[in-house]
Amino acid sequence: MASTSQHPLSKVDALILSMIGLAGFLGIWLAASMSGTVPRQFLPTPFEVLARATHLLTTPFAGATLPMHLARSLERYSYGVALAASIGVPLGLAMGLYRWLDDIMTPVFDGLRFIAPIAWVPFAALWFGTGIGGPIMIIFSGAFPPCLMNAYRGARFVDQRYIEAAQMLGTNSLRTITQVLLPACFPSIIAGLRVGAGLGWQSLVGAELIVASAGVGYMIVQGQSNISTPTVMAGMLAIGLVGLLIDVALRQIEARVRRARGLA
Amino acid sequence: MTLSTSAGADRSSTLPARLTRRFLGTGSVLVLLAAWAVLTMVTDTISTNRFPSPLQFWQSTKQIVTVGYADGTLFGHALHSTRLVVLGFAVAAGIGVPVGLLMGWSRRAEALINPAFLVIRPIPPLAWIPLAILWLGLGDAAKIMVIFFAAFVPAVINALAGIRAIEPPIIEAARMLGTGRWRLLSEVLLPAAAPMIFTGLRLALQAAWTTLVAAELVGALAGLGRVLNMAQQDIYPAMVMVGMAAVGVLGWATTRLLAETERRAMPWLAR
Amino acid sequence: MSAIVFENVYRYFTRDGKSFPALDGIDLTVADKEVVALVGPSGCGKTTCLRLAAGFEVPTKGRVTVGGQPVNGPGPDRAVVFQQFALFPWKNVEDNIAFGLRNQGVSASTRFERVSAIIKLMGLEGYETAYPHQLSGGMQQRVAIARAYVLDPEALLMDEPFGALDAQTRIEMQEELVRIARVNPRTVLFITHAVDEAVYLADRVAVMTRRPGRVKEILDVRNVRNAERWNHHERIEDVMDLESFVHLRTHIWRSLREEKIAVAP
Repeated sequence: MASTSQHPLSKVDALILSMIGLAGFLGIWLAASMSGTVPRQFLPTPFEVLARATHLLTTPFAGATLPMHLARSLERYSYGVALAASIGVPLGLAMGLYRWLDDIMTPVFDGLRFIAPIAWVPFAALWFGTGIGGPIMIIFSGAFPPCLMNAYRGARFVDQRYIEAAQMLGTNSLRTITQVLLPACFPSIIAGLRVGAGLGWQSLVGAELIVASAGVGYMIVQGQSNISTPTVMAGMLAIGLVGLLIDVALRQIEARVRRARGLA
Repeated sequence: MTLSTSAGADRSSTLPARLTRRFLGTGSVLVLLAAWAVLTMVTDTISTNRFPSPLQFWQSTKQIVTVGYADGTLFGHALHSTRLVVLGFAVAAGIGVPVGLLMGWSRRAEALINPAFLVIRPIPPLAWIPLAILWLGLGDAAKIMVIFFAAFVPAVINALAGIRAIEPPIIEAARMLGTGRWRLLSEVLLPAAAPMIFTGLRLALQAAWTTLVAAELVGALAGLGRVLNMAQQDIYPAMVMVGMAAVGVLGWATTRLLAETERRAMPWLAR
Repeated sequence: MSAIVFENVYRYFTRDGKSFPALDGIDLTVADKEVVALVGPSGCGKTTCLRLAAGFEVPTKGRVTVGGQPVNGPGPDRAVVFQQFALFPWKNVEDNIAFGLRNQGVSASTRFERVSAIIKLMGLEGYETAYPHQLSGGMQQRVAIARAYVLDPEALLMDEPFGALDAQTRIEMQEELVRIARVNPRTVLFITHAVDEAVYLADRVAVMTRRPGRVKEILDVRNVRNAERWNHHERIEDVMDLESFVHLRTHIWRSLREEKIAVAP
């Protein structure tokens, strides 16, 4: 049980306080916007943002409607994450299992670790221009480390007793890997995919701010250039919402895997 | 090839094994460096329009350190960026950690603050950049705003988790011992939550750097991101590489500083 | 007089709108300077009883008094020793022990005296500046007991204090506790699963029914101990070998088993 000063709130109390909190937040926003302390142009009311978002669902802006921009973003996002996972997970597992591979690769990764993924954008621009390769590369650089690290940790720190039990039962190496180690690593791998997907989505935004000609990030930048704050905010909320949905979906999957494994 | 998980690693911590590992590690780095030199300078497999050679990298480093690039020397840009990161990080942590602690301790505060937090939290930090530019222009203020939002979220989340992770007997023991409010906060809650608070600070620092570089890439008057941006526009890959290396080094240095602070702040942890 | 009195205590838990009785009318008195052990099947509510006396929970009906005063929240007059030690990992041994005294505003010099005395009594000399993680389970529990004793509490409440220790350390600590109780007698209520422990340490053993808990029977150990002169034996294993000891222990086991059988489907 968590430790706080009070017992958990009743569901009713929690709901009421949350509503108050939400109302307070929106209220302050609304008041700030309407009071004119900030020019209305820069701080639209919540309603204006919502209206703009609805408008963008059907009317194109900067070349496409909001759903179309989102689709473009999701397309390159999927490629980037798929690439990161399909390279990162097997490589991480291999590094966890074979110490010599770990010894070879780790110094290289350690060197690159502190370079923020976003710093790869100039090279992405140089190599791919505004083509799809640029964002994919940035997304890859964001999603790759968690996929690799979690697979690595999962394999490296597998409970030695599983291996000993397999050996005692006379299992050959290949089967030990596929039927004992891999399933044992599964929860770590899924966790890595979830974190990687999250970081990938964040990196996507960065990429699209700079090197894209379509996608939600691009739409926001155009909104900013045109001084259309409602567009910018609508885009931010759309990005946040999609990112949230992806995260929630992956968490469900992860929870299911852990439950099936008896871990949660 | 034996399967070597962590226990296997223990078996191979004899001197010859460790030397072999060190050898492999340095060996791979050397091989990569050699390949880099050969492929760019000797064979032309990699065109230096796209990827700089070691020589070009060295020359660009000299240039930016002495003469300067993008209206400033390397030191100037680095200082500028570092200052912004530290400032933004400090503000975010200074506000975020107390908020997180409050939300962790008081379920009421959590219920009240959570809705606003849930709206802000999913928005990727980089998505704040256009809004920041819209509101505050291309100067430092916009950068700090973006860094704030990036670093604020992990600071809050981890401080909250840190309080929730405190085992109930610890709190009960503190109450049994008649601990007053302020002492409870300063001598019980804070030390107990400290490990997770520091995790949050580490994530906040990481987010701060990423966001700053991105913000400076989009548009800035000074800083390492500006170096990267100009180098990209000038189609000057060697300078891009210098910029990236600088970002990496500064990121490493600030992270080490935080790690040292963490180590000293918590002398009681079993290491 | 520091007695712990449970007067007709009921405790109901509510979850999802439904009410679950945990304690069903507890009447129990721990007399001044008496040691009472509370045993019972799992889930019978014995820990709840302790937490009511400690002030961590409030009775739904009835009342709990300590030293004549109704219990109103936790405090240093009712010191608690937890099963999981609950020491502050970031404070060393002497700071952990001194913490309660600081809260009471005891002056530094007096604190030093009292802490030093208790460190000596508990055999913790040399470990004053050690951190909990550097100590074994047994040592940590010594610190926890020291922390409680140094408060000079009206009542000492122990929640399975040796439950987290291995069997051999457990025996050592039981002998320690007997030794300390001779030097520094107090009103003690303690919970345990180990019937041996209860019979060895307590003046009286209260056996609880299964949930919802009531006091099923109370065995007077002190009379037997005095009559059979257990104190004349140095070692715990010699005492546990005595027929009178075994008799008491078996009686309690049988009583507990009756409660378990009543539960089985």
